[in-house]
Amino acid sequence: MANSIFNLDRIKSFAKSVRLPAGILVIYLILLAVLPEKSIVAFEACGRILKSLIVPFCLVFVVMFLMNLFVKPTQIVRFLGKGAGIKGVILSVAAGIISTGPIYAWYPLLKDLKEKGATNYLVTVFLYNRAVKPFLLPIIIGYFGWIYVVILTIVTVIASVVVGYIVEFLTFEKPLNIRNIEP
Amino acid sequence: MRIAVSAEGPDVTAQLSHRFGMAPYLIIADTDKEDFEVVPNPGAEAKKGAGVQTVVVAINNNVNVVLTGYASPVIKKHFQDAGIELVTGLGGTVGQVIERYKKGELGRNERKASQVNEAAITASFFVTVKQFFSLLPMMIAVVLLIGLFTAFVSGEALASIFSGNDWLDTLWGACFGSILAGNPISSYIIGGELMEQGISMFAITALIVSWVTVGLVQLPAEITALGRKYALLRNFICFVFAIPVAMLTVFLLNLFTR
Repeated sequence: MANSIFNLDRIKSFAKSVRLPAGILVIYLILLAVLPEKSIVAFEACGRILKSLIVPFCLVFVVMFLMNLFVKPTQIVRFLGKGAGIKGVILSVAAGIISTGPIYAWYPLLKDLKEKGATNYLVTVFLYNRAVKPFLLPIIIGYFGWIYVVILTIVTVIASVVVGYIVEFLTFEKPLNIRNIEP
Repeated sequence: MRIAVSAEGPDVTAQLSHRFGMAPYLIIADTDKEDFEVVPNPGAEAKKGAGVQTVVVAINNNVNVVLTGYASPVIKKHFQDAGIELVTGLGGTVGQVIERYKKGELGRNERKASQVNEAAITASFFVTVKQFFSLLPMMIAVVLLIGLFTAFVSGEALASIFSGNDWLDTLWGACFGSILAGNPISSYIIGGELMEQGISMFAITALIVSWVTVGLVQLPAEITALGRKYALLRNFICFVFAIPVAMLTVFLLNLFTR
């Protein structure tokens, strides 16, 4: 059954996702037997980090839920191909900031938008602004403070526009002038 | 009205394809013009992001309704965001399900606004749970690796890489961020631990910025989707920019927190 919880694809996907942490845990177990003192230091460091992440992670869940409920990145990204001037830039920045999920899931949509006329400039601005992640704010603020986060966010948004311009300038291809082509 | 049906074959006599994202074809019926068109599904062969690719096809073909057997919560949310009605749990031939929909047998327009909101909350909750738990394995792996790092890498070894020279440290930060990949949360945790070890904020910021903006791991996928010249240039320029972005951020931070 495709919807079954015991679906083979799901089991494979789960096994793949826990492969790395499980492998590292095995290293920990080997260490515990060979170098117990070092492994205790490592376990203590893990415990300290995990403890510091509990509250921010709860907040991350809440922010993620609210964003999933109210923010609609697919619709905004669809406007990238139509946006021009400052409106296009604002839409690209907004779409990049609120987009979630792995980047490869967005490539087909971006490819399609490029084929429909979205410029490299707007696509670059979108990709650059994925560095700003509102749902992860509780974690980054917890580590570095809100002043740092505000500054980094503003600098990132400004840099995205500059990077977008440079990429557009270097990749721009003049449209073929058909009047100059001999029959 | 344009109705898209996930199909096993390229005509209306074909069986409805159970999984929306993996369907070989989408058959799009136009009820006003009384005709249909067949669109091969690019997501059928994709190993990752198949559902999203199929959603893109449906949205770009201006469909109003999608009829299928099963769609993941992520796909449901995309359709909901795009204002496209999705009806799941169907079976039979493509022609049969279209006729049933046109006759109003599939329960469309019966849902009240409150039920729609309830469905949106439930769908968002499950999407969030899925996203959240997909973050966990890598986050735990990063925390475990940092534990090993703390136990085995001495302060002297770290100092041999991050020497205290702001420019060089920032360059190293950008290099590490470009090579490593994954959710930004990992870069925050690593950055936080590097800060504990006394590494400069220049290096940490360059790592955080390049972690997301530069993607050497995803480069082949980016080249395939967006072109070689664009992908290589974008990644190179983003790598170079990680350094001034880090410099400016920390300069302003020092200015405001002094």
